[in-house]
Amino acid sequence: MIVCASIACAQDATTEQKRLNRESFEFIWSTIRDQYWDPTFGGLNWTAVHDELRPAIERASTTGQARQVMRQMINRLGKSHFGIIPADVYGDLDEHDEAAGTATAGLDVRVLDGKAIVTSVDEGSSAARQDVHAGWEILRIDDAPVTPALHRIAELDGNSTMRELHLARSVLAKLSGAAGTVVRVEFLDSAGQRVTKEIERSEPPGALARFGYLPPMHVWFRSRRLGSDIGYIAFNLFLDPARLMPEFGDALKSCAACPGVIIDLRGNPGGLGIMALGMAGWFIDKPDQRLGTMHTRQAPLKFTVNPRLPTYTGRVAFLVDGCSASTSEIFAGGLKDLGRGRVFGTRTAGAALPSAIDRLPNGDGFQHALADYVSESGRPLEGVGVIPDVEVKLTREALLAGRDPVIDTAIEWIRKQR
Amino acid sequence: MHLRRHFLPSLLLAALAGSPGLAAPDEPLPKAEEILDKFVEATGGKTAYEKVHNEKTTGTFEYLGKGVKGTVTSYRAEPNKSVSIIELEGVGTLQEGTDGTTAWESTSLQGPRVKQGEERAMILREATLRAPLYWRKLYKRVETVGAETVDGQSCYKVVLTPEEGKPETQYFDKKSSLMIKMMMSTPSPMGEVPIEILLSDYKEESGLLRAHKQHHKLLGQEFLITLSQVEYNVDIPSDRFDLPADVKALTAK
Repeated sequence: MIVCASIACAQDATTEQKRLNRESFEFIWSTIRDQYWDPTFGGLNWTAVHDELRPAIERASTTGQARQVMRQMINRLGKSHFGIIPADVYGDLDEHDEAAGTATAGLDVRVLDGKAIVTSVDEGSSAARQDVHAGWEILRIDDAPVTPALHRIAELDGNSTMRELHLARSVLAKLSGAAGTVVRVEFLDSAGQRVTKEIERSEPPGALARFGYLPPMHVWFRSRRLGSDIGYIAFNLFLDPARLMPEFGDALKSCAACPGVIIDLRGNPGGLGIMALGMAGWFIDKPDQRLGTMHTRQAPLKFTVNPRLPTYTGRVAFLVDGCSASTSEIFAGGLKDLGRGRVFGTRTAGAALPSAIDRLPNGDGFQHALADYVSESGRPLEGVGVIPDVEVKLTREALLAGRDPVIDTAIEWIRKQR
Repeated sequence: MHLRRHFLPSLLLAALAGSPGLAAPDEPLPKAEEILDKFVEATGGKTAYEKVHNEKTTGTFEYLGKGVKGTVTSYRAEPNKSVSIIELEGVGTLQEGTDGTTAWESTSLQGPRVKQGEERAMILREATLRAPLYWRKLYKRVETVGAETVDGQSCYKVVLTPEEGKPETQYFDKKSSLMIKMMMSTPSPMGEVPIEILLSDYKEESGLLRAHKQHHKLLGQEFLITLSQVEYNVDIPSDRFDLPADVKALTAK
């Protein structure tokens, strides 16, 4: 179905589709005009942007071209959380999940020193059954070399805080596809040998969660002990609160006597911002403590934490990396600012604007930021990210040795207090 | 949540929004007392209100244009007890209420919380059963401040100042005497949130007119609450308004 949808995008749009594309262009422009938090648009002449691009949307003969024009318009703002979600993503996911291409190769990947490195392998996945290990380098995916694309993205992103996120996503996107299909991956293994694996894609772990017009996504939550006394919590998205919030609370309550807990937000791109407030409540025992402030055009909204009982009083270590974004940044950055958490890892993605998703007249989704966000320290997170208290980088060598230096450093900090 | 105003009594009523217009010059403005009393008459009259001892409403919630939907159920009983339960797809359960003394909320997102100060005062006002009858008790000052056109309907604009909390502005249709819009600033831990509510689709139940559509606008976002059923004098379990255990734990702290 994806292939068909892609072909449709390249075909000439009908008169009706063209009209809907023009309406979508106007919807996006006027929504930003009316709702963008800064009425001066940071000095950008928003009316001039409209007038400049309107002829291009009139000329667009395919929906794909129309999307490009719309993306060009929103990219002028230079902010995260503005984007177009093609209509076929909804159609495919709603009607036939497997065909939507959400299945994965069971690998998590980061680009370290310009190389695509496997950082974890899902238990029970085809990759795990074929003994693929963390630390292996991905050289080729379906016979296409990985490195040239990484170089292009790195060059394009320059010093952007979102570079690590874009690099990892570019590799993960190539590994993703329809469930049951096979992706051919050439690795450099721990012995420095080139090995090729035919990996069958499968649905990612976790339960499928939906929220509004966000595409349905798999959400997982894991908690365990590191050694006998340190709690470890990880989850891949801030979604599905009816399930995740109680699990988070239960994990903390079961670890009430632990000297510390590690919350691993590496690779977590965010989700519902208010979940950060709910989770932060377990670590705060005083009222009126804020993670930050969201500035809408109409009024500021303080991200005030609601204290929960029983308060967890041990040390809190957040693990982050360049793929930690949005709500992850609000959560870790806010508790860092309140002196209630210490952050380990590498700088986050700096993409922390609260946003919503509307459906456009042409069926596409339109994600748009509703507000600016400033962490409690007074620093914006957008374009800056959360700077770790202790910078620790993953390395291929450590991963091959079965170690995670970021977790190790956090454990050492927690144990020091004893 | 910013939804609580929809739980206001029959006080909340309907109409569509629009650009405010100007009052005709030299038009004499009726006293606010007169407008508020007319509203009671227009929605059923004192006798009909006095027959109500409790109520249950059910309906739907929609975050307009965002694909987020849910259901709303609320209970109220005299003198000022209330519980409202919103079940949102992809979010879970959001509850808010009062036993007439303690005002609280408990949500799947942030857990339980006891409301204090102006927040508490607002919940207690909204929980007042037959509230349209008691505006003299609920507000220390009411004043007609002008006339405006709301979506083509000529309205009187009345500002009501409660004993505790910020003034609220209500718009009453000159012809029908029904309230078609209200504006207020809602206190919350996140700060004061300005809200506009458009009330429409009045329907009668047990002799009382009630707005079945409540269109909320706040911070550039829009929510629609549509009531599907309004019931009066129903069987409500005696413990329905008791504080939930997690809220009780907070009050005992």
